[in-house]
Amino acid sequence: MWLELALISIVFLGIVILGNNRLGTMIQLFALQSLVLSATPLLVYPGRHAVVMAIVTIILKVFLMPSLLFWAIRHVAIRREAQPLIGYGTTLLLGGFLMGVVFLISSNLDLPVQETSNLLVPSAFSMVMIGFLLLISRFQAITQVIGYLVMENGIFLFALLLLENTPLLVEMGILLDIFVAVLVMGIVVNHINQEFGSASTINLTNLKD
Amino acid sequence: MGIRILLHISLVMIFSPLLLGIAGKTKAFFAGRRGPPLLQPYYDIGKLFRKGNVYSPTTTWIFQAAPIVSMAAVLVSSIVIPMGSIEAPLEFWGDVILFTGLYALARFFVVIAALDTGSSFEGMGASREAAFSCLAEIIVFLDFITLALLSQTFVLSEMIKGNILSSWQLFGPALLLAGASYFLVFLTENARIPVDDPATHLELTMIHEAMVLDHSGWDLAYILYGSAIKLFVLGALFVNILIPFHGLSVVMQTVFFWGGMMMLAVGLGIVESCMARLRLNRIPQLLISAFVLALVGLFVVLIKGV
Amino acid sequence: MELFLLLELPFVMAVVIFIVPQDGLRKNFLFLTSFLHVFAIISLWQRPHDLQFNSFLGFDALSRLILSFISILFFVVSIYLIGFLKEKRKRSNRIFIGCLLCLLAAMTLVTMSRHMGLLWIAIASTTLLSAPLIHYYRTAQSIEAVWKYLLISSLGIALGLLGTLFLAISAAPIQTIFLEDILSHADVLSPSWLKLSVIFLLVGYGTKMGLAPMHTWKPDTYGEAPAPVGALMSGSLTGCAFLAVFRVAQICFHAHLQEFVSPVLILLGILSLGAAAIFILGQKDFNRMLGYSSVEHMGILVLGLGLGGGAIWASLFHAVNNAFAKGLIFLVSGNLYRSYRSKRIENIQGVIHRLPATGIFLILGFMAITGFPPFGIFYSELLILKEAITDRRYMVAVFYLLFLSVIFFGYAKIILGMALGKPPDQARQDTRKENFFMIMPLVILVIILIFTGIFVPDSLYHLIDDASSLLGGR
Repeated sequence: MWLELALISIVFLGIVILGNNRLGTMIQLFALQSLVLSATPLLVYPGRHAVVMAIVTIILKVFLMPSLLFWAIRHVAIRREAQPLIGYGTTLLLGGFLMGVVFLISSNLDLPVQETSNLLVPSAFSMVMIGFLLLISRFQAITQVIGYLVMENGIFLFALLLLENTPLLVEMGILLDIFVAVLVMGIVVNHINQEFGSASTINLTNLKD
Repeated sequence: MGIRILLHISLVMIFSPLLLGIAGKTKAFFAGRRGPPLLQPYYDIGKLFRKGNVYSPTTTWIFQAAPIVSMAAVLVSSIVIPMGSIEAPLEFWGDVILFTGLYALARFFVVIAALDTGSSFEGMGASREAAFSCLAEIIVFLDFITLALLSQTFVLSEMIKGNILSSWQLFGPALLLAGASYFLVFLTENARIPVDDPATHLELTMIHEAMVLDHSGWDLAYILYGSAIKLFVLGALFVNILIPFHGLSVVMQTVFFWGGMMMLAVGLGIVESCMARLRLNRIPQLLISAFVLALVGLFVVLIKGV
Repeated sequence: MELFLLLELPFVMAVVIFIVPQDGLRKNFLFLTSFLHVFAIISLWQRPHDLQFNSFLGFDALSRLILSFISILFFVVSIYLIGFLKEKRKRSNRIFIGCLLCLLAAMTLVTMSRHMGLLWIAIASTTLLSAPLIHYYRTAQSIEAVWKYLLISSLGIALGLLGTLFLAISAAPIQTIFLEDILSHADVLSPSWLKLSVIFLLVGYGTKMGLAPMHTWKPDTYGEAPAPVGALMSGSLTGCAFLAVFRVAQICFHAHLQEFVSPVLILLGILSLGAAAIFILGQKDFNRMLGYSSVEHMGILVLGLGLGGGAIWASLFHAVNNAFAKGLIFLVSGNLYRSYRSKRIENIQGVIHRLPATGIFLILGFMAITGFPPFGIFYSELLILKEAITDRRYMVAVFYLLFLSVIFFGYAKIILGMALGKPPDQARQDTRKENFFMIMPLVILVIILIFTGIFVPDSLYHLIDDASSLLGGR
């Protein structure tokens, strides 16, 4: 029951991020979503492995990454998305439609792994879809980074299915990789802002054939 | 049967303005004021009944009929809702459709009455009301479908009473999502913040208040009373879904129901004090988010299998 | 001992680089480290091909092959860097050289990992470590290139992670994704999940390789990166990505999914060739053209993997030669940029007259890249064509020949025009004498190309034979 509550709140937060246009709010919502996410290993397979995962996830995704992102936009003047590629209403509807597709497909999948709740796979894929939508439909660089991070949250949820079997080393490596990715992206966003005076990727359209 | 209906309607009519009063007192408390007395809505309605009407020469009978029709429709819809230990006098298969249809009727008359005045101000409010309620109705229907799937029946009082307790235990998250989306619709239908501000009457971005600007005297009283009853009935539905008190003793049911209504009014006041009105172009986005939430709730129910 | 030299030493040296204050000293450390790296590789050639250090790290014939050419190319580029970094720049090159060293370690890790999860981690880290290298010239366009590279690669890598997870799910009966276990128990893997995982892995690692339609970052990135970085990325990084794709093909081969995966690989190959052909014609920027050339060669590699049989041998041979040929032409482009200060083709004309040594190597590089005999690429392209025809895939052969001819025509027009045209007569003749350190690597590369293409030693033959037998090649 608690696991399903956690999964539904993750999906709920994902929908709220999708409909939001303020950079600061989106980073905070992502931190909140990661907090709920770090509790999920303990609900699926309680044990030492899960505790370590939860602690590392909290440190990296709830504290370090959001502070990195806030640091990256400390000089950015415009903290709102002016106009995304597709309007917010359309984005939300598209997100709802994609989630419907995901729920439909997940009910027909047969997993050779034992799963603790049949909401796990749909919510994982829904997060991947929502992150993908965010990544491709927004112009602000930080929003694209947040879309990537939401995608990674979804993939993390999916990896919960395999929590027992994955060596801890590999999972730590994956988390560390994502952290370094956010670090590098944050630095690049900083440079973009220094160069163009705004962190919107509308300025990054000069290279073409 | 007739006695029961009369009892039901009288209860609704007596207690609905009280909710408005409680909400107002809560808002005043948050603002650090003493605020109007708790029974102020009653005094307002009484005052308006004693006043005379002013009719514009451009209006027709629709303008005079609309307030009465809207209040009557909402009153009739209250017959289908159980209130705590008091059963709903009328229940039949598919009364959910009647429920939403009556609200559509009420809304329709208010909208065409607004257009009847020939003033662009009311027309603007009417067009917004029509647009937003399109979205809101879909969400209400989605919620009803979720509830119907959970309780395996299409009678409103049984959907609520039936096995809501076990539904909460098994499908808690789905009901939470449905409840959240219903709350947003509740705010929209009753023209509350963050959708519309019931306090000021003259901003050009009002929806409900703009529509009824030309009514006066006992027409305005009917409108005010009608909106209070609408708040009460929709809130009763919300409380019934949210608090699974059916199956307890009569006393406990009454306590839970009326207590829940008070808490709802207080909650409404808190929401109104803590938020500001949304920009008009963000309201459809809010409604679409509510739609997606209701949709996800439905998916969860479908995926877990009923 | 070798393990330390291969993996840990570059990291240690990267830390040292951060501490060392003078700019001039750092490139010597870089040169030293890469020299030791090559030394370790060569000493490992004596050992048998399959060498396991522990369950996570080990070699087989394929990784030996790819690591060898990665390391040698890195060594040659480090010689070039001695001359390239002589220019005084405003910023210190601490991050640049540090990232280069960490990149070497990451690429070594890719080739040595025997666990599919570790492979993913290593490839993801190569992406992240190569991003700061592109932004060397600090222009607005280079930051755009960095952003597109980061985002598209990270998206691809995320899909690759999903693919790895699907692979783990399909391997639920054996509960592990070590390569040995997967290959030996390939028949108990759940086929539908395995197919799904192969698709995602191909998309993910294909993005890293630069196959169409995921190639859009390549021209931008190679167009803006400095020449030595471009050489490394197009020679070594693509080799790492190719290794990952090869591993996927290996899994498919052992699980008898060849009929599923070959059409996908062939399609990706032909699409990449087509995309390269369309965009090379009329290209105005030399480095972007080189980016499309990289897309083309990646397409040929994957096409060979898809055709199977003798074409696998040809792909591996092609990979080796492509690395050095690309290195050659990118380093040449570095010399050109240094002298002409522009990357646009219309501004770079008459190279033979102005920079005679570079001009010769420009023409040699052109011959090597386009598959002129007697260079090795000619042989590998011919082998692939032969395999396509003997397999009776005539449409594939037709498209292959068509695209290759178009590309050849595009190259010839551009490069020969650059080499033999009339030099522009601007007054600011930056006639620096050609730096020894920037010519010497070109000589070395041509010598290597002769040995990998024309007078191929037996040990290399056997190595490629062993590697291609992993996929059931000739």
